Amino acid sequence: MTRRRSTALIGDDNTVVVSGKRLTWRTLHKLPQLPSPAAVLVDNGADALAALRHHAVHGTELLVATSSRVDERMREELGESGFAIVLPDGEVTPARLKRIEESGRAWLLTSGSTGRPKRIGHTLESLTTVTTDQPPRTWLLPYSPGTYAWWQVVTISLTQADQGLVVIEPHELEDWPSIAAEHGVTAASGTPTFWRQAIYRDADALADVPLEQITLGGEPVDQAILDQLREIFPKARISWIYASSEVGASIVVHDGKAGFPKSWLERTPDPDRPILSIDGDELVIRSPHHGAGLVGAVHTGDRVEYDGDRVLITGRLDSDEINVGGSKVSAGVVRNVLMGHPGVSWARVFARKAPLVGRMVAAEVVPNPALGPITDADLVQWCSSRLPDFGVPRRIKFLDEIPQKETLKSDV
Amino acid sequence: MSSVARGRVRELMGEVMTAQGRSLPADDTADLREIGFRSLDFSELALRVEDELGDELNFDAPGLRRIATVGDVLDFIEQLQSA
Repeated sequence: MTRRRSTALIGDDNTVVVSGKRLTWRTLHKLPQLPSPAAVLVDNGADALAALRHHAVHGTELLVATSSRVDERMREELGESGFAIVLPDGEVTPARLKRIEESGRAWLLTSGSTGRPKRIGHTLESLTTVTTDQPPRTWLLPYSPGTYAWWQVVTISLTQADQGLVVIEPHELEDWPSIAAEHGVTAASGTPTFWRQAIYRDADALADVPLEQITLGGEPVDQAILDQLREIFPKARISWIYASSEVGASIVVHDGKAGFPKSWLERTPDPDRPILSIDGDELVIRSPHHGAGLVGAVHTGDRVEYDGDRVLITGRLDSDEINVGGSKVSAGVVRNVLMGHPGVSWARVFARKAPLVGRMVAAEVVPNPALGPITDADLVQWCSSRLPDFGVPRRIKFLDEIPQKETLKSDV
Repeated sequence: MSSVARGRVRELMGEVMTAQGRSLPADDTADLREIGFRSLDFSELALRVEDELGDELNFDAPGLRRIATVGDVLDFIEQLQSA
């Protein structure tokens, strides 16, 4: 295989299917007068691709994310850090701080140790980790724009020949296998939840997708989901990837087993390959694909445990960002929406373990006694008109009084 | 482990639908897509059942199957409780 280090737009004529329309990267709609640096907040995948191509062609400084992930406070912080904020309707709020752009810089949001997303700097080159020539494929793109996994898939399509993309918008997620089958998708990357949902929903429809490459990532990968996919796709290559904004794609496993071999912890150091180690029960990675300023060993915040000759990655040590089946929502955004209801005095928003989607948004609420009684249905409807589906709290518990901890904080 | 009766699961399913501004038809053969019962609704129903049970449902045990109708959901929850 030949190894390239170029990020030239070799894939500019690759097919890109958005909302059923067959386009190419080159013929995607253009975003007029995109400022730089810009934080482009989108509510659909097509706009995110257009922003990415603009960045790739013009070398602008870009952060792209879904609007539901970036709350008011973070928008202000971005403005104060020199980003113009571009909203889904095209409205632009100029940056509060005027500064020179970092040409070619791509910013990703990731869950920080505080639970609030933080910015990690990359470039198109550092995000393009698949640099060996790939067999012709048509990739499904179900990921939320701006996430590391999203960048991984889109950079394959933009920088390699014959790598088509089929974009799945949030409202199409329930029915993606039929869309994928219609457009001949042969490669798909998704969270374990994404695959579990597809199997539970309609395994026959999933089996109709001519998949040759199946990739899992973004959440702990369990053996059951790998086995179920193997049963449906006996001939496909099934891989799981450990990747994050901080350390890039660092672990890639193709043997159909959960976890990675323990022996990988003792590999001879190679500058082109991540070095894996364990500190206590935390995974530590020194990676060539790291984000800006993250040279050296990075404590990932992910918990590991040994299982025979394998090392399993079991989940986050500590995080407040809620991952609902791969779609991330800020608990703070949801809390603000709940607190905006006139009948709510206090709210706490948290993740609750749930089947199919892994985590669901749940809340505890103290009603405002000055107003009439409110029901959980009232609050669900209130939130439904202000948040994406996955951000709406589905289990709401009413408390009589606002809980208070010894610290005098209320743990929100 | 105690279990939540099928009729009660149906009531809980109705509550999930009502909270979403929709209603659950009486017919068990009703198609989930047509009535707008989606993955998040299914997950919420499982949580409601878990809350009544005071225990978690085991989703790892059952084999692959297609869930297309209201009856399929009720059957599946029943199967999960006996897993």
